[in-house]
Amino acid sequence: MPITMNSKSILPTMRLEDMDPAVAWQAWEPSNEEPWDNRRASLLHRRAGFSATQEELRPTLSIRPDEAVAKMVRDDTSDSTELIAFEKDSAELAKSVLATFDAKQLASWWIHRMLNTPKPLIEKMTLFWHGHFATGAEKVQDAELMHTQNTLLRANSLGNFRNLAQGIAKDPAMLIYLDSVSNRKAHANENFARELMELFCLGEGNYSEADVQQLAKCFTGWEIRRKQFRFNPYQHDDSMKTLLGKSGIESGESAIDCVLASPYMPRFIVRKLFRFFVSEDANPSDAFLLPLAERFTQTNYSIASVVEMLLGSRLMLSGWSIGRKVRSPIELAIGWMRTMKCTTNVGFLSERLRTIGQAVLYPPNVKGWEGGRAWINSSTLVGRANLIYELINHENTRFDGVPLLAFAERKNAKDPSQLAAWFAQLFFVEDINDTERERLSKSLDTSKPDRWANQTMIYLASLPRIHLS
Amino acid sequence: MNHHLNRRKFTTASLQAASALAIGATAPGGWMQSLAASLTQQPTSQDRVLVVIQLSGGNDGLNTIIPYTNELYYKARPKLAIPKEDVIRFNSEAGLHPSMRGIASLIEDKNFCVLQGVGYPNPNRSHFESMDIWHSCQRKESRSADGWLGRTFLQLNQQTSTDSTDSLGLHLGSEQLPMALVARGVQTPSLASIEQLRWKGKTDSSMESSDAQSTTKRKAPLESDGNLLDFVSASTSAAMQASERLEKALASPDSSGDFPNSQLGEKLKVISRLLLARLKTRVYYVTLDGFDTHANQLLAHAGLLRQWSEALHAFHKRLNTAGLGDRVLVMTFSEFGRRVAENASQGTDHGAAAPAFLSGPKFDNTIVGDQPSLSQLDDGDLKFQTDFRRVYATLIEDWLGASSNGVLTEEYAKLPQLGLKS
Repeated sequence: MPITMNSKSILPTMRLEDMDPAVAWQAWEPSNEEPWDNRRASLLHRRAGFSATQEELRPTLSIRPDEAVAKMVRDDTSDSTELIAFEKDSAELAKSVLATFDAKQLASWWIHRMLNTPKPLIEKMTLFWHGHFATGAEKVQDAELMHTQNTLLRANSLGNFRNLAQGIAKDPAMLIYLDSVSNRKAHANENFARELMELFCLGEGNYSEADVQQLAKCFTGWEIRRKQFRFNPYQHDDSMKTLLGKSGIESGESAIDCVLASPYMPRFIVRKLFRFFVSEDANPSDAFLLPLAERFTQTNYSIASVVEMLLGSRLMLSGWSIGRKVRSPIELAIGWMRTMKCTTNVGFLSERLRTIGQAVLYPPNVKGWEGGRAWINSSTLVGRANLIYELINHENTRFDGVPLLAFAERKNAKDPSQLAAWFAQLFFVEDINDTERERLSKSLDTSKPDRWANQTMIYLASLPRIHLS
Repeated sequence: MNHHLNRRKFTTASLQAASALAIGATAPGGWMQSLAASLTQQPTSQDRVLVVIQLSGGNDGLNTIIPYTNELYYKARPKLAIPKEDVIRFNSEAGLHPSMRGIASLIEDKNFCVLQGVGYPNPNRSHFESMDIWHSCQRKESRSADGWLGRTFLQLNQQTSTDSTDSLGLHLGSEQLPMALVARGVQTPSLASIEQLRWKGKTDSSMESSDAQSTTKRKAPLESDGNLLDFVSASTSAAMQASERLEKALASPDSSGDFPNSQLGEKLKVISRLLLARLKTRVYYVTLDGFDTHANQLLAHAGLLRQWSEALHAFHKRLNTAGLGDRVLVMTFSEFGRRVAENASQGTDHGAAAPAFLSGPKFDNTIVGDQPSLSQLDDGDLKFQTDFRRVYATLIEDWLGASSNGVLTEEYAKLPQLGLKS
């Protein structure tokens, strides 16, 4: 290994190839050089949730980083009054939304959850799995089934991957999406079998065409009737199949277990989690991800264990990860709104998210969202800036219940430069610099003295840095 | 749409700010001069334009160009075969799906050409992998993150010094930028729709900021390397400039003729307007999704073919009226065809070789290649006879006038049957 200086340090500019994986995935501990500070705590909240307000950062900083991570990943707060009230509201909202049979309304319901949940990591993980097991409402055409799937993803979002994979294989929305509502012995439908290996568990190239055909046979007789999964033994091919080199596979369930047992599975899943939480830009080797993959296998596919290791690692919290992700449209919009305590018409927000490339419940295809640099193009950049412009100018928008100017005053921001500084330390990866401060003051329209707070936030939305996490 | 555009007013100041910037982040120059120049110039043969229509999901080639005299076709497709009497015949073995009337009329005028059996060796049946092969011309093992058109732009940049600030490529659609258009040092704008172009909170100062950050690196970083902030900064200035330039180009009165009110129709209509506004862009890229017809294929596929055929017909008609017909060539392709035999869900699963299509100028032949054999199959799929890279080589050299050397990894024989070289 070409490490000369100090193999125990993770420097912000280091390449992954030059790091010792064992060191990178160690739990990070604060020191005099690397204190547990605002910058690191807000990174943790950006990646494990949707950015944080000052009020959310304070309790995080009052405990150790490993405790803060454990609290996000493991803490069962199901008896907290805040969570009970939130879930009660959300359930009532879901009921009224489902009465409209409109999946677009259901998407707004989920956006509402992301905006208001006291457990952001759960929604973030649900979003991760929605992108992973991508299912589109335009084809499923049934809001209730989309809700059923969303509930399955949420309940298992930090649970056991085997339960999740077995559950999704019988999920009506998924099977409708992949044209597998009926699956007959005579002509096995290969679509679900192929995607289970290519996109859900192993990755392209880690199975053969023969495996696709064999796996498809295992799923014959799996049907959806009256919105329910049903096994039809008359249409099931009960011959013994050989899958991924293993013979004697008969049922669909045992075939899924066989796919999960492939050595490619843990690598494939932890790589995807790495991309989602750490960086889509860095392309780590399998060897670099090995400690995560081993943890996944040793814990019998516990998702929480891998996520905890990722979030609390030296790679994440030492500072290397800062600015290495592009904010997804959801992270930008929901994060901006949570930071600004912003409330608005959720239907409008949901529609704007669609135009900048992330309509939840309507992923682009079965591969989900590519993420990273793919979020950024001319249209989406214009759309991102316009989204914030329109949020600020929407008649229903309030900030902590009041107009923007009054909100700024509450934050003791008395001029554009103070407001920019306050916002930047919560939302940007670095504080605002002198050039930006100067350009900000030039951009203000002095003939409208009561609009300075609006103009400041609009100016900040035009800075390329707002898109980095 | 039009009254939106007419309401938009720009101050002189913001136009000047825009003229100081460059649309591709590599080509310097003022767009106002180039716009004025392009409006007075007549098109020359060097102004040829390629439009790529990607049919995403795997188009069923056998139900597009139908072997209506082949009994094996009717045997393999008891539920999905198109009845002989419904096929629009154009020779003694092949005909068009009945919903392709528009294309039938292009064939009558010799403005359409079917390339039979296009594919590549060892076909991959994953949508994403096969699409990546078509975009990059490389298998996964040896792939860099750039595409055949992006590499063509590099060739074009080298061989012509242009004062144009228009980007060489333009992607219209809400999906992510196709890999085909990506290359180091090239920023290709991607636009969901012209309504979404207007940057509402734009100030001169915000444009300066993004430019100041991007000029520290004149070249736009490649998708996969370079600092993330440089990438976002370069993309932001490209977006601001594209926003200005295209709004201006589209601000002229809408005389786009009759386009069908469909997704593809709308996209081709926008392209026709940009062509009429004399944008210097050489390649436009659009996609039409929905061809992954695993179940209940008949109606869905007919609707998609109709959408494609009607939009294509309207597009070429509009360009012919404007005298641009011989300047614009459309290539339509899909990542693979579908299995010869239908499945049990009245659909078809992923296949291999399929026809590709060219339209626009006059072609010497309506069909290039043989009718694919339905008896000699490759694991239930049609065998390919023409490597797709031969089609690319022909388009790059004989149509766009660039060298395919450096774009394609090896030399591929061109298709002289097309008669494209002028």
